[in-house]
Amino acid sequence: MGILSSLVSAIDGFTEATGRFISWLTVLMVGLVVVVVVMRYFLEMGSIALQESVTYIHAMVFMLGLAFTLKRGGHVRVDIFYRQFSARRKALVNLIGGLLFLIPVTVLIFVSSWDYVLSSWAFGETSSESNGLPFVYLLKTLMLIMPVTLLLQGIAEILKSVLVIRGTANGSRAESSDKETKELIL
Amino acid sequence: MTEFIPFLMFLVACLVLMAGYPVAFSLAGTALLFALVGTVTGHFDMAFLQALPNRLFGTIENTTLIAVPLFILMGVMLEKSRLSEDLLESMADVLGGFRSGLGISVVLVGALLAASTGIVGATVVTMGLMSLPTMLKRGYSPSQATGVIAATGTLGQIIPPSIALVLLGDTLSSAYQQAQLNMGIFTPKTVSIGDLFVGAIIPGLILVVFYCLYIIFFTRPTPAEGDNVVPAPNSLSRAMRNLMPPIILIITVLGSILTGAATPTEAAGVGAFGATMLAAIKGQLSISRLREVAQTTTQVTSMVFLILIGAAIFSLVFRGFGGEEIVEQFFVDLPGGVFSATLLVMIVIFLLGFILDFIEITFVVVPIVGPVLLAMGLDPVWLGVMIAINLQTSFLTPPFGFALFYLRGVAPDTVETSDMYRGVVPFIIMQIVLMLMLSVWPQIATWLPELIYK
Repeated sequence: MGILSSLVSAIDGFTEATGRFISWLTVLMVGLVVVVVVMRYFLEMGSIALQESVTYIHAMVFMLGLAFTLKRGGHVRVDIFYRQFSARRKALVNLIGGLLFLIPVTVLIFVSSWDYVLSSWAFGETSSESNGLPFVYLLKTLMLIMPVTLLLQGIAEILKSVLVIRGTANGSRAESSDKETKELIL
Repeated sequence: MTEFIPFLMFLVACLVLMAGYPVAFSLAGTALLFALVGTVTGHFDMAFLQALPNRLFGTIENTTLIAVPLFILMGVMLEKSRLSEDLLESMADVLGGFRSGLGISVVLVGALLAASTGIVGATVVTMGLMSLPTMLKRGYSPSQATGVIAATGTLGQIIPPSIALVLLGDTLSSAYQQAQLNMGIFTPKTVSIGDLFVGAIIPGLILVVFYCLYIIFFTRPTPAEGDNVVPAPNSLSRAMRNLMPPIILIITVLGSILTGAATPTEAAGVGAFGATMLAAIKGQLSISRLREVAQTTTQVTSMVFLILIGAAIFSLVFRGFGGEEIVEQFFVDLPGGVFSATLLVMIVIFLLGFILDFIEITFVVVPIVGPVLLAMGLDPVWLGVMIAINLQTSFLTPPFGFALFYLRGVAPDTVETSDMYRGVVPFIIMQIVLMLMLSVWPQIATWLPELIYK
């Protein structure tokens, strides 16, 4: 139990920290778009590099925010039945779903993106626009980082489900470990 | 025999979704399991999944979708800094002298503001928390109050600038391109998010008018003695101060898109900035508030894009099993041509609306049926508006309507579920009337875009 829950809190801590950092990028995005608009309409200047940097930041937000959102329970569910399930039943859904869906999907994204990203690195792919940012290979690398972070948090969620199921299965230890996992989830 | 596989996959995915695991993973995971089994039995070629990185990078590079987090940030900021709530209260004060003032305020505020997060559940919950207690207190019957709130919470989806229309516009735009390429037109016409926004204005306003007329003529709030609020003159001017800034903000955002002065992304960025400034002027902006808004924005944005990714995997597998040809062949063979094809699609989307939200249907269903219907000659703007209103109706319809579930969650126990079911019936009828009107006179949706852009 001890190892599992400390592993869970380590992953949770990592995801939470990256998520909190990533979140500030949304504010930065708003600022940059306003700068682009002001430059375009009032100074009649356009900067492709600036516009592309908005695209880069946007990609970072939604690619790296996926794991954070998973941790916070922000990915929508069809909860017509789910919401009425007991904690144990919910944990069971999350355990099976994690093993059957989340892990294969993240692995698929990683494996299918591997060559795609590597070939971009190989020739140091740059923007197709002449004044664009020369970091397309870094942008594409998000396609490898995203599944890894998502898989990591997915594993943490699976372990949380295991803890809940184990906790409710053992009568005497149920209360304490239930509390423990609740704290973990919070 | 194998032509049943895509449909079976769809059916299984729908069943799997009911278990309650996150939608994006359920869709992609189910498809992947089908792909694995199909590979083993020789019915599927894994090479179809090689297109995934291209799709994924296409999403990363898509500059139109940058509008999504910006609009979300605008909506979250208006909500968390209580600007939406003040707007509702002020409007109720201004219209408080009229018998139906509060009901109409709820509709107008919902139409203006509720749209920006694009998630039906969140909107209905917000509207419910904000206005249900007040409506009950001011003498609306539980069925009338919940009916108005559920309808208004979903109405926001089809009134621009809503996230739902941004996503639908983007998806329809690629479906339209594909339809024309399939027909051998290599200089295809385009349809933009702006077109869809413009097209949705008149139908949206018609609904607002319908709702208001219904509230004026058919609801009878019976206020308790001494609870009848008549605004004092000074509260009126205070109300106008609360009222004007958010309204000006929304109109500016919308206007700059419609007149073509700004792209949706630029307008959304300026709108998010404007909302932040309004919060600051109200003294509602602190570092912790900004952090809260940023984190909620990140979560909602990620949620939307994960569905987009999950739906992409689902549709690649669907295509790998020959699903697209089967759907196309099915529609071509269907007696009654484009009319019955459209009717059938609308019924399917209506039923799917019971289990899937706007975003999922936009990403999963529209790419499959859109190109076929558009190739049969439908106007993309008209189709988009019809899908949006159809879904809104679906979300309202008992017993499965999304809006009802969420409203139930925040309604006090004194409100019976049967009250809610009775309350939404008039609104469902109004929706259906509008859809019939759109079918008879498609110009309701197509006239304004043609006027503005051609």
